[in-house]
Amino acid sequence: MKLYQIVARDVTRRKKRVLYTSLGVVIGVTTIVAVLTIALAGETKIYSQLEKYGANLIVMPAINDIDVGLGSLSLGTLAVGENYISEDKLPQIRQITDGKIRQALRIEDEGDIATIAPKLYMNAGVKETSVIVVGVDPQEERKLKTWWRVSEGRYLKGPDEALVGATVAELLKFNVEDKIALNGREVTITGILEETGANEDYQVFVPMETAQKAFNKGGLVSSIDIRALCSACPTTDIASSINENIPGVRAVAVKQISETEMGMMEKISKFLLALAGITLAVGCFGVVNTMMTSVHERIKDIGIMKAVGASRNQIIKIFLYEAIIIGGAGGFLGYVAGTLLAYLVGPLVFKGVAVTYVPQYFLPSLVVATFIAVIAAVYPAFRASKIKIADAFRSL
Amino acid sequence: MLEIKNISKIYGQGTAKVVALNNVSLCVNEGDFIAIMGPSGSGKSTLLNIIGGLDYPSSGEVILDGKRIDNLNENDLVDIRRGKIAYVFQQYHLLPSLTALENVLLPLTFCGADKKDQKALDILKRVGLEKRTEHKPSQLSGGEQQRIAIARALVNDPSIILADEPTGNMDQKTGMGILDLFHQLNEDGRSIIMVSHNPGIAKQAKEIIVLQDGQIVDKISQEGGDNKC
Repeated sequence: MKLYQIVARDVTRRKKRVLYTSLGVVIGVTTIVAVLTIALAGETKIYSQLEKYGANLIVMPAINDIDVGLGSLSLGTLAVGENYISEDKLPQIRQITDGKIRQALRIEDEGDIATIAPKLYMNAGVKETSVIVVGVDPQEERKLKTWWRVSEGRYLKGPDEALVGATVAELLKFNVEDKIALNGREVTITGILEETGANEDYQVFVPMETAQKAFNKGGLVSSIDIRALCSACPTTDIASSINENIPGVRAVAVKQISETEMGMMEKISKFLLALAGITLAVGCFGVVNTMMTSVHERIKDIGIMKAVGASRNQIIKIFLYEAIIIGGAGGFLGYVAGTLLAYLVGPLVFKGVAVTYVPQYFLPSLVVATFIAVIAAVYPAFRASKIKIADAFRSL
Repeated sequence: MLEIKNISKIYGQGTAKVVALNNVSLCVNEGDFIAIMGPSGSGKSTLLNIIGGLDYPSSGEVILDGKRIDNLNENDLVDIRRGKIAYVFQQYHLLPSLTALENVLLPLTFCGADKKDQKALDILKRVGLEKRTEHKPSQLSGGEQQRIAIARALVNDPSIILADEPTGNMDQKTGMGILDLFHQLNEDGRSIIMVSHNPGIAKQAKEIIVLQDGQIVDKISQEGGDNKC
């Protein structure tokens, strides 16, 4: 028989008592797991809304506002033909952006990180109607507009191809394989976009080079959409760095728009976390208390064990083993209860949010709970080890 | 083998002072079987506790095999409890969550000798409980529980067994069975010191010491008894 077997036997006999003792830990862990699970679900919701905006950074020529068609988000009016950014600035912008992200995420990967999609907006008369022609970098644009679906034909592949928005195609009765002239340059429609409900529905997309040649804007772009790959990328940092280092452009972090919301979110979760921390601390005192009671209840057993040769260290070990069991059980129950609580309360906090259990929280729950239970048991265990055998039996 | 010299034990201070033992001296040799008698409050149990290192005397010396043990610290006393001296209590003091066998194994566990199940089984057989090894204390009678407690005391092969009213909770017949067991252990060469207020039980010992108000008032040597100090 080993020491831990003595503890296991004792715990099995006193199941209810042990569960009661672990209650303090359970409540603390429950609160923390619930708060974190709900916060995570809420965060995912907000981030997923942000994703819909596509770019989280826009670079425009200084001075003029240009409508850049950020999904359903309108950022100003279109003023084509006034100002352009030179394509030469693209590598510099990429360098700044990727550099900042690397710094923020502590990665050393040499490849491109951010999606950098330049655009050239032009007005062209097609079938006696004025349409907006957008020159894009097909690959980068595809990465940015994750919601794009080609309903007919295919996406842009080579030069002199065109992808048309749903409304344009419908109004002007465009079909795949149709040839249209843009400012005199003939392009072939290779695909029609599904309706997105945004400005894109009214636009015609062609490869950048085709647009530049058709409108004699060699080497120029109207604006640049940038999407940093992570939700937590320092878009405001990147924007200000671009503004400082590259003359003639104005970078705006789209994140600013949702910053208030994000900030609120952060504050709420910080507050809840503090609340959970206090609960855990209080729970910790609860465990110390119940542990002390447990020591008191078992003065006789401690006396017996010492009388038959248990050393002080062995008595301490017995109580710490018990604390590990209490903590483990508390962590497990806390995780389960916290997750259930999140399922119940989550939808009330964030409307329509789908709360999912977070398996990554399971192990930390066990570890934190065990750690706290052990810490809480140190003093009671020490007290137990100091009990004198004669006193232990006399007190009966 | 064991000698106690001028032991006093005083509880409390000032007006609340209680003298439990007053200048008691005693000698225990190999093979002794001593019964300590006296009315309740006479200091019997206190004396036994001090002999066994469960309690510290206020003054005087306890000498085991030529070494003082009354001033030892916890850790050194642990060694004595694990080897030389074992206890049997009136209330049996078994751990309720462990089976009979596990209770007997307990001292071995604390010694770090955790693979000696056979030794424990042999001892349980010796006390006549080989068929009760998997029972919990609550499923056993008082006499059976005391036999387990004795088996537990024996498992470390002690040379001195201290028993505090070992038959106090039993009827006459069961008590006699337990005493038979003590006689056998005594015949093995173990010294036994037993506290009892029952003259019928005490008479079974080789020597009787009578305590009153913390002092030895009488020493009676019986058959085979022989007080050398």
